[in-house]
Amino acid sequence: MSTRHLNRRRDHRLVALVALAFLAGTTAGCGEQSPPPAPVSAGLKVDQALRGQLPEAIRTKGELRIGTDASYAPMASFAPDGRTIIGMEPDLAAQVGLALGVRVTFVHADFGTLLDQVASGKLDLAMSAITDTAERGRQVDFVNYFSAGTAIVVQRGNPAGITGIRDLCGHVVAVEADTTQVDLLARTQRNCGGRRISVKEFATNSDALLELRTGRAAAVLNDLPPAAFLTSAAKTKSQYQLASTTQYEPAPYGIVVAKSQPGLRDAVQGALQTAYKAGVYADIMKRWNVTSGAVDQITINSGR
Amino acid sequence: VDVGARRRRGLFAVYCLASLVPLVVLGAVLTRGYQSQGAERGRDHGLAQAAVIEEMAIAPALTGADLAEGLTPAERDRLRTATDLAIFSGSLTHLRVRSFDGRVSFSDDGSVVGAVPVDDPAFQTAARGGTSALIVDDADGRTTIRVLQPVVASSNGRAIGVLEVHLPYEAIASKVAVETRRTMIRLGGGLLVLFAVLALISWATTRALRRQASGHEHAALHDPLTGLPNRELFRREAKEALSAARAPGGALALLDLDHFKEVNDSLGHHAGDELLRIVGRRLVTALPPADTVARLGGDEFGLVLSGIEGRADALRLLTVVQRSLGEAVLLDGVAISVEASFGVCLFPVGADADDASVEDLMLRADAAMYEGKRGTDGIVVFDPAAVTQHQSHSLVLQHELRDALQRHELTLHYQPKVDLRTGAVSCVEALVRWHHPVRGLLPPAEFLSVAEHSGLIKPLTTWVLSHALDDYLLWTAAGLDWTVAVNVSARNLDSLDFVDEVRRELTRRNISPDRLYLEVTETALASDLDIAIQVLDAVAATGVRTSIDDFGAGYTSLAQLRLLHVSEVKIDRAFVAELPTNARDAAIVEAIIDLGHRLGAQVTAEGVESAEVATWLGAAGCDHGQGYLWLRASSWPDVVRFVSAREGRTVDPPAASTDQTAEHHLSAKALR
Repeated sequence: MSTRHLNRRRDHRLVALVALAFLAGTTAGCGEQSPPPAPVSAGLKVDQALRGQLPEAIRTKGELRIGTDASYAPMASFAPDGRTIIGMEPDLAAQVGLALGVRVTFVHADFGTLLDQVASGKLDLAMSAITDTAERGRQVDFVNYFSAGTAIVVQRGNPAGITGIRDLCGHVVAVEADTTQVDLLARTQRNCGGRRISVKEFATNSDALLELRTGRAAAVLNDLPPAAFLTSAAKTKSQYQLASTTQYEPAPYGIVVAKSQPGLRDAVQGALQTAYKAGVYADIMKRWNVTSGAVDQITINSGR
Repeated sequence: VDVGARRRRGLFAVYCLASLVPLVVLGAVLTRGYQSQGAERGRDHGLAQAAVIEEMAIAPALTGADLAEGLTPAERDRLRTATDLAIFSGSLTHLRVRSFDGRVSFSDDGSVVGAVPVDDPAFQTAARGGTSALIVDDADGRTTIRVLQPVVASSNGRAIGVLEVHLPYEAIASKVAVETRRTMIRLGGGLLVLFAVLALISWATTRALRRQASGHEHAALHDPLTGLPNRELFRREAKEALSAARAPGGALALLDLDHFKEVNDSLGHHAGDELLRIVGRRLVTALPPADTVARLGGDEFGLVLSGIEGRADALRLLTVVQRSLGEAVLLDGVAISVEASFGVCLFPVGADADDASVEDLMLRADAAMYEGKRGTDGIVVFDPAAVTQHQSHSLVLQHELRDALQRHELTLHYQPKVDLRTGAVSCVEALVRWHHPVRGLLPPAEFLSVAEHSGLIKPLTTWVLSHALDDYLLWTAAGLDWTVAVNVSARNLDSLDFVDEVRRELTRRNISPDRLYLEVTETALASDLDIAIQVLDAVAATGVRTSIDDFGAGYTSLAQLRLLHVSEVKIDRAFVAELPTNARDAAIVEAIIDLGHRLGAQVTAEGVESAEVATWLGAAGCDHGQGYLWLRASSWPDVVRFVSAREGRTVDPPAASTDQTAEHHLSAKALR
């Protein structure tokens, strides 16, 4: 009897994406179990002035631990190996790491815990398509790197006939807990009168999508880039579609920094600006097909 | 034929073997491919099953679990609940959940022994998100499909560990085996059919080749015009018939058509060909089926007859055939009566049968046919059993005669022609004798017919002519004024070459042509008059004298005398013997003498044995006489002595060899 291993890849297209990410110098990974891939040479050089702004502890450690909820492709999601986190955010953060001369490690965490973990110092940064809002701004600082509004994702064929935000009244809508979409729904709720929106919150975006997929929810609110990704990626486009092309309440994404770390905040801002100037930022936006959300400049706490 | 058949069977075997080899190879390759395909299907089956197990049982039980930190009792309980039934029912043999560092977080039986090592390629593949399946024999001796794949416990695609599943393979294996066996049977059947078809094609091909070969063989042994066997096949058939020694015997017959050349010349080749075809058909129809009819070439046919009990039997059968051929044939609107001459040689019987060869029989039959053509009989039968010992060895005689010509065993005797008015010798006729090394001096009767039938007559005549002319020079030198006469065979007269030869011999010795007489028998003229007359005219034109021998005994027509320029007519001895008492003979002889003289020829009487006859002949005006009255054929010196004794003159005979023992007094011509 022949003894030959059979290796099966689930999706070759995603494999190609992984390879692309590696080439771009992604250093993301969950460092606890295996060392992250070595940073590739392509990309930014260490900017000693910026590096000098880093807190002493981080420079000593040589690592930035960045929290993310890896269920939000193309921002951040798990590669087919189920362990590597890939996306626009890991790519951009890798450039920040290169400019600052530190290793970047992405750590998967529930979205709702990210701000607390940064504020408490368990994580150095959080980068998970987090909208910079005034409320959040009271707890942490934001380095703004992207801009996106909310889109409505429905089942393919749109069985509930939802075409706008007001159509959500009287339906079950699934959202990721602690997101701006929860607030958006609460504001929409006021106009629904007696036909209330039944809002279901889930720890990760994929859990919310699971509800939609299984028909237990009529719609999911996502930021536009992930929503567009969902409805165009080969694996998921047969299941989801956008209810409309409208983007609700566009707002900036920000990298979360503890208010106690202004040096880190400025260093990250500087690194991102360097990446922007070098054109690496634009390359990454293009690579993940999210150029519509690209910003003109890297700002701090501009979301209020 | 046996060798050919064996070769063709060998060819068929080679074809079969050559087509068997690729078929066996094809079968082996397909079988092997199907077996490995079966194993692959088994593994695919395992992979699919493991994927379902992972998604439906393992992942839900591990939602939110972190294998690196171990399982909570609740998670372990959920796993146990999810897997127990499958283990119990045998759907699973083993199931282990492993962290990426290889630690066994959960095992269906709590065991950790036999788990796949971390550095195993299969484990590494699973840790990288891949899957692998392998058919292995586990510790219990069961054959299982071992699958390793990542555990993805949540919808976001995050892998938390590696699932190691062992699935029972027996059921799949037996299913695969059944399918493989079924396919093998179909494949084997198909290949067998294919082989049968190939063998059939080979067989058909070799059969076609065989037929083609036999067609060639047929063409090689048959005459294309008539479809009859050709000379080669005739020889084989005759040989077989001869060696079969069938009682009551058989015969070999040759026949050729009379006047065929004229048909060809006057009506064209198509008519000639048609005539040959008709003759072939009639021969086949007229003869028993067992007999062979062959066309030997030209207008010559050969027959192998069976069941011939003797000369009379052969004659009876061939008379019927001859009559059948004789029926008129209509060719291009011209009615033609086919006449044929048959020469038959009966198969020898007894001791002679062993020595007989087909060639021998054919020569004899040919000689007999020749005999028939010259005579009146259309059918001449030669019966080896009916001839004397030495005649039956005519072939031996032929060889000996050929040697004799070279070894100078032949000698010439001369019989004088005497002038009936003066009693002087005017001419001598050369007669050949053979000093046979064993049998002594042989008279012409012993060998001339053999010479005639074998073609030796031409060199023999040449020999006689040149030696007679040599002797002529000798006696002329001795002061004798004799002309010389040489007998010429019918076969000498079939070509103008003979005229050239005569002229050459005379010129070489500077002898005047009018000193030579060429004596021709009537029968020589009978065979092919046109050519003979041409030749004789040409001879006469050179000045050489011609003489009709044995005149009156054969069937010379007066028309021949009208055409020929004859210098001499020799009256056959039959008319002379009873002279002068037989009045009828006397009348004929007188008439011939008168006829000869009126044609400007001299007349010689043969067989003069008494003075009385000589006197009568002289009185009748006959010019010359020949016979015992004067001298038997003797060497020329004896003739000289005879002349000297008679005339009282002394002529010194030269020292030539003499042969006093010559007792044979038959001249060659007497045998004709």
